[in-house]
Amino acid sequence: MGKPVKRPEQSRSEQAFLPEIAKGLRLTASRFFKNTFSAAEKGDIATVRYPEEQREYPERFRGVHRLTQREDGSPRCVACLCCSTACPAQCIHIEPAEYGDGDPRKGYEKFPKVFVIDELRCIFCGMCVEACPCDAIRMDTGIHMPPALERDAFLLDKEVLLRVPAADGSVKSANPRHEPGDHTYPGIDRDRSGH
Amino acid sequence: MEQEQPEAAPQPVFTLDGRQIPIEPGDSILKAAWRQGIEIPHYCWHPGLSVAANCRMCLVEVRSGRVMALPVLRKDEATGEFVSATKPKLAPACQTPATPGAEVYALSPEAKGAHHAVQEMLLLNHPVDCPICDQAGECKLQDYWYDNQADLKRKLTEPVHKPKAVRFGETIVYDAERCIMCTRCIRFCTEVAKDPVLDMRERGNRNEVVLAPGRTLDHRYTLMTEHVCPVGALTSRDFRFKARVWFLKTAPSVCSGCATGCNTFADFDPRKGQLFRLRPRDNPEVNTFWMCDDGMLSYREVHEQRLLGPTQSKRDGAARIPDQRLYTEPDVVLAEAIADVIKRDASLAFVANAALSTEDNTALLRLAKALGHSRVYLAGRPAWEGDDILRNPDHNPNRAGVQAAASELEMVLVDAAELVNSATHFGGVLWLGTEHAVDVAELRQATSALWVLGTHQGELAAAADLALPVLSWAEQSGTYTNAKGTAQSFSAVIPPVAGQPSAAVLLTLVGEVLQSLDGSNATRPSGATFSGGLASGTASEAPSAAGQGEMVR
Amino acid sequence: MSASLSVGQALMTAAGKSTFILGLVFAIAPLLVWAERRQSAMIQDRVGPHRASIRLFGREWRFLGLLHPFADSLKMVWKEDFVPPGADKILHAFAPWISLAPALLGLAIIPFGPAIYFEHLGDTLMLSPEGVPCVAGLASGVLGCTAAASQLGTELQVATLDAGILVFFAAGGLGVVGAALGGYASNNKYSLLGGMRAAGQMVSYEVTLGLTLVGPLLVFGTLRPEEMVRWQSSSIFTWGFVLQPLAFVLYFVAAMAETKRVPFDVPEGESELVGGYFTEYSGMKFGMFFFAEYVEVIGLAAIAATFFFGGWQIPLLTDAGFVVGQLHLPLSHGWVTALRVGGFVVKVLALIWLQLMVRWSLPRFRYDQIMRLCWRYLLPLSLVNIVITFLVIVWLRS
Repeated sequence: MGKPVKRPEQSRSEQAFLPEIAKGLRLTASRFFKNTFSAAEKGDIATVRYPEEQREYPERFRGVHRLTQREDGSPRCVACLCCSTACPAQCIHIEPAEYGDGDPRKGYEKFPKVFVIDELRCIFCGMCVEACPCDAIRMDTGIHMPPALERDAFLLDKEVLLRVPAADGSVKSANPRHEPGDHTYPGIDRDRSGH
Repeated sequence: MEQEQPEAAPQPVFTLDGRQIPIEPGDSILKAAWRQGIEIPHYCWHPGLSVAANCRMCLVEVRSGRVMALPVLRKDEATGEFVSATKPKLAPACQTPATPGAEVYALSPEAKGAHHAVQEMLLLNHPVDCPICDQAGECKLQDYWYDNQADLKRKLTEPVHKPKAVRFGETIVYDAERCIMCTRCIRFCTEVAKDPVLDMRERGNRNEVVLAPGRTLDHRYTLMTEHVCPVGALTSRDFRFKARVWFLKTAPSVCSGCATGCNTFADFDPRKGQLFRLRPRDNPEVNTFWMCDDGMLSYREVHEQRLLGPTQSKRDGAARIPDQRLYTEPDVVLAEAIADVIKRDASLAFVANAALSTEDNTALLRLAKALGHSRVYLAGRPAWEGDDILRNPDHNPNRAGVQAAASELEMVLVDAAELVNSATHFGGVLWLGTEHAVDVAELRQATSALWVLGTHQGELAAAADLALPVLSWAEQSGTYTNAKGTAQSFSAVIPPVAGQPSAAVLLTLVGEVLQSLDGSNATRPSGATFSGGLASGTASEAPSAAGQGEMVR
Repeated sequence: MSASLSVGQALMTAAGKSTFILGLVFAIAPLLVWAERRQSAMIQDRVGPHRASIRLFGREWRFLGLLHPFADSLKMVWKEDFVPPGADKILHAFAPWISLAPALLGLAIIPFGPAIYFEHLGDTLMLSPEGVPCVAGLASGVLGCTAAASQLGTELQVATLDAGILVFFAAGGLGVVGAALGGYASNNKYSLLGGMRAAGQMVSYEVTLGLTLVGPLLVFGTLRPEEMVRWQSSSIFTWGFVLQPLAFVLYFVAAMAETKRVPFDVPEGESELVGGYFTEYSGMKFGMFFFAEYVEVIGLAAIAATFFFGGWQIPLLTDAGFVVGQLHLPLSHGWVTALRVGGFVVKVLALIWLQLMVRWSLPRFRYDQIMRLCWRYLLPLSLVNIVITFLVIVWLRS
């Protein structure tokens, strides 16, 4: 036993169909005349002539990735692989390395020796940006990945990603960062604490 | 569990959160629960080490016996006033003996509150640098934070800073900021490795683990200190920054380093088909909880210096095998060479290898037998220095296994050194494996032809007239029988790096040799029996290997 | 055609008229493709086709997307002519022709203009009281015949036949065969289903289509299209759609179904049948099916114009020029003919536009709805229309 379905009730003119067709025709015809005999920009045309005209992207548009720089131009990235873990497309390849002896960051941080994003594989979901604990990877460039004939052109490595500027031209992040060893670094370390 | 119970006396029990827990003599509450697979949170306790009871994470509430009450102030929710009250004094489960009939609670509000408090205390000065810490993903601090704290840090001041990235030795790096001073590493060095090279200095915030003056962490079990470290304070320089543990999958395996046959977990990245590390797998019959450094690093050999394709000798005067034949039908080339030696009535030698699995060696033994040989030489890695902890002086994992297989087939094993020492000149030597303990130049003097079915490049493969790549222990299943006579089977961990299973190569080889000898495709009864016997033999032997039950725990 | 013309002349004029009508069709069909895309874009608030461009005088010209039909045609010509394995190769190749040829044949009976007198293109012509065309002039201050037309006129119609409209139906009926054959020969179950649907639908609507036009035929009393146009010449109130409004609506619906276009496009219903009977066609063979569809659209509009909108008649325009009451704007025979042919083309284009509007306004019917519409509504209504027309005519005569 099925559930009784209430049939939609139709008035006599609806059943006759022709008046309804006339109504529909009136609507389509009004769109037709309005759009045909007004300038393309004035009418209700919702689409654009794409390559020549382009829509303005929203502020939070996710474009090609960039790696933010520190004050000294090195990447903020500490190669924690959180982005490649979060990446549903598995398009981020990172090989971490350790700072050498004498570097004040030694022991505190590692850095990406190799950082490659396959922009062909990327689905631009922004999870890497969400996952990054260091504000090191951002998608605020506003850039579409430009087309290329070779797949290799879509493999962006660390050097490229570091150079890509944000939409406002910055290569850094607005979030301040204090390096171990800097005088702004908030901690005390063993050498300066006197014990 | 591993110990059989005497059936006469009923086993004493205590209750933990309402559950009956049987007691072994001498058990603490924590250990008795651990035997039952119940984990009471703990950092400093390790089943293989002495009890330190210094992390205070395993506090439990014991309600039986004489309960000690502590006076506390408790807020009365109704009036908002603090009133005097008592709470039970908690006991560390790792140190408190389990007494029959005791009533213990690890999940009571009092115990959970203690876990929360201890966890918060341990994290007070922790740098929380999980993103750059190799322990992240398998860190007890992370696990217990989720289980017992799950709360934000309340301390707003800068944490205490301590030495970071201190190199303890060639293998271990120490980060004092992450250290929770559980002393597991110190106790391991003192009690298991018998080399008290680590100790602790200062106290409170300045507490840190230090090396004995003038020493580095250089004994043979240094990687175990990293393994016992419950947090990221000690990290292995070998594994450091190579991978994140959540990318790795784990498969049980057996160490191929020596005749002890330590049980291992092989951690590999399934996306790359690459091994990243070996960890000890608990087996009280074999290695308890430990492994030596050389064993833990033996995973490297799977990816380093592998023989990737058929190679031929580059010696002057050696007959060249055309590339076309070398790469498309190397087994036929080998079979023809063997058949040629047999036709010339020159003497032929087969060399089994104690470094390879029983299955591979059995295939070789059966090949020798099918060709009428009952004497097979046994090669292997040269001996190394043993100790009385785990390392066996025999560097080969399977000498006992090969010997057992030979005696089952009624064949005689002779040390491979005899090849060089005896005055016989051989027409050809078929060497299974690339492990050897002979002088290769002398070996070449003693034989006209040398063929190798092996895994690695090196002196022997370079000297061989023809070397075919075969699979290593990580890429195929097999069985090792250790010095105690325990056969332990293992299965493939990663996809093949190069080559085929040696048993398969040998299987096809015998048919092709016999075909070359016959010179026709006529029926080959001996060959057919051989392949049938091999197939049924390996199939029935491997799964029923003794000791397998203990292996998977 | 008069016997006084030689066979050669007859062939020459027939060839000329055929060329004109074919040229018209071949010009309109690609335009229709463009109109279809452009019009749908306008209806749906889109920009529409505009990408195809040509570089002339150092500039890119896009002509509002008018180049797209040419690009499409070029593409179709160069595309691989694919015949599916297991298909009947001969029938597969034949079906598009069978579909296209009858559609073109039907156009032969369409009168696209009045009889033309090539010798009097510069003169003003009128009908003498006897109904014979003569050269008009101001004789004694009154417009009247001054001389007889020296030559017999040439009807602007490829075939002037007594059977007239019946030829159109006969040719249209053959179109079914093309669709059904295409579906049958493709060795594809979707094609076959499409072919069967096309056959069922077209055979059903063929009946209604014929019956809807019986009413007008009763009114006009002739089967010859050119006679019908002349019958409607007196004023706009004698046009078919005034006298036979119901017949016009019924005819329009039935004819749209006959062309198998939306909302009656179940034979090619993409959502169910991939592409229907021409699923397995590519290149110019597909192009012919495509083209046949547009020729049918044109033919339908031309018949509608002839039957219901006075054919080439333009209100107030007589043979001698515009006549409004006492005002007379004399025009030469050439101008009048040109205006009338132009008027016919405009009417056809307007009707095509209406079809496109319907096509882009209504969604597709279900197949059972289509058949029910035909047999339960259109057919009885057309029979009712015939009976009423018959009774009125009998009443008027008595």
